[in-house]
Amino acid sequence: MNPYPLDPYWMVALKAFLVVVGLLTAFAFMTLIERRLLARFQIRLGPNRVGPLGLFQPIADAIKSIFKEDLVVERADKVLFVLAPLIGVVFALLAFGAIPFGPPGSFFGYQPWVLNLDLGLLYLFAVSEMAIYGIFLAGWASGSKYSLLGSLRSSASLISYELGLGIALLSPVLLVGSLNLNDIVNWQKEHGWLALYAFPAFLIYGIAALAEAARTPFDLPEAEQELVGGYHTEYSSIKWALFQMTEYIHFITASALIPTLFLGGWTMPFLEVPYLWMFLKIAFFLFLFIWIRATWFRLRYDQLLRFGWGFLFPVALVWFLVTALVVALDLPRSYLLYLSLAAFLVLLGAVMYSPKPARKGGGA
Amino acid sequence: MSPWEALALLLLLFSGVLVVTLKNAIHAALALIGNFLILAGLYVALEARFLGFIQIIVYAGAIVVLFLFVIMLLYAAQGEVGFDPLVRSRPLALLLSVGVALVLLSGLWGLNLAFTKDLQGGLPQALGPLLYGDWLLVLLAVGFLLMAATVVAVALVQPPRPLDALSPEERKEEKEVVR
Repeated sequence: MNPYPLDPYWMVALKAFLVVVGLLTAFAFMTLIERRLLARFQIRLGPNRVGPLGLFQPIADAIKSIFKEDLVVERADKVLFVLAPLIGVVFALLAFGAIPFGPPGSFFGYQPWVLNLDLGLLYLFAVSEMAIYGIFLAGWASGSKYSLLGSLRSSASLISYELGLGIALLSPVLLVGSLNLNDIVNWQKEHGWLALYAFPAFLIYGIAALAEAARTPFDLPEAEQELVGGYHTEYSSIKWALFQMTEYIHFITASALIPTLFLGGWTMPFLEVPYLWMFLKIAFFLFLFIWIRATWFRLRYDQLLRFGWGFLFPVALVWFLVTALVVALDLPRSYLLYLSLAAFLVLLGAVMYSPKPARKGGGA
Repeated sequence: MSPWEALALLLLLFSGVLVVTLKNAIHAALALIGNFLILAGLYVALEARFLGFIQIIVYAGAIVVLFLFVIMLLYAAQGEVGFDPLVRSRPLALLLSVGVALVLLSGLWGLNLAFTKDLQGGLPQALGPLLYGDWLLVLLAVGFLLMAATVVAVALVQPPRPLDALSPEERKEEKEVVR
């Protein structure tokens, strides 16, 4: 009955270990890649002193952050202060295992995923909601007002965007009829990518995923100009590095989830190679997000919340209702293709449309 | 009772006791999260998988986050909120809680829990038609109750009209009341 065979436990454990090691390595080198790319965007060189092309920079950073003095604030809640970064990292690492990287049996005869849950999407939600507690507790346990403010506003924005994220995912789930990530990928293999059927949902998911990973247009947690450092103001040395790790792992996971859910996952209309396309798609989204960081400005806090509640949330709801209507009345699914195209044209128009800024007040 | 069930029961009771006895409100909320997570694991073990994940997302995720928001905004400076408004009420509370537990258990006594429908391990594909078919009215009633409660809560905390929106006579009255 189950089309996805199960692995022996030792294999699952081994794959989980590989995922953790892979993610941590990817985190270390993503810091370097991001700094180098940002430097290219800003016409400077970036870190290139340690090793060839600066390739040993992550190792130097790791050694530095481990051996720096680890300060714990007098007023801090000692237990939670240590626990908070650990909660963040653990729940960030948990999400990645549910993502399939190829067809069954393509990992040396075993399955190219760690977990294959019938409720895969709900699992991802549960894990990412629990990860918010890391930020929350870090801010409170620091015993500092800046940390508390930073954690309150970043968790408020995370929760707000979680809503848009969830509702944007409803329309693919309605079309596929399953919450299993493998089923979603296989459906896309047969019918074409979900981004074509649900372009607005894809767009909203992408934006909300940026916000969930606290990337630049939404990187309020560490708005240095406003909050010193956000929720990790009082953290230093390895605990601070753990928060960096959490953020980068969220970032990598988001770049892997967007293609899985909307762009066909490991499949491609031509040249079926199990792992290649998945890694290429992940790399594309990682680069896109760094590009966005290099070009865009940060939103103000009220603008951020207004955008989340006032625009993303209603648009996601409307698109969900449209999809539900098509599915409930059993209309041909191609209607959704045309509607998606229309939505894309509207977006294009909105991007092109740039009215002259109206001058307010008099003078000059 | 298998050892796992006994362990789950003990953990549930222990975290529940922590929730009501810890002096620090944040620590109590964390114990509540632990309690909810164990409960979700229990649901999954009982083949109610959808319920288990919803338990984590809605209760351990959203609702406790709201609790924490309120706690942090009210008692952010001092974690300790431990003053006891009802002195020496512990024996009474113990008696009451044991009584409630007994009442609930007696309700379970004659209940026939054999379920005729195949729920496929509690997946939403099986639960959906049931919830929105046979139990539609119950679902709507629950939803209506929750909405009514939300409206009431908002109406209760609604401040009287802001001072600058009042006419001069009204403003005078308002000040009288404040005095």
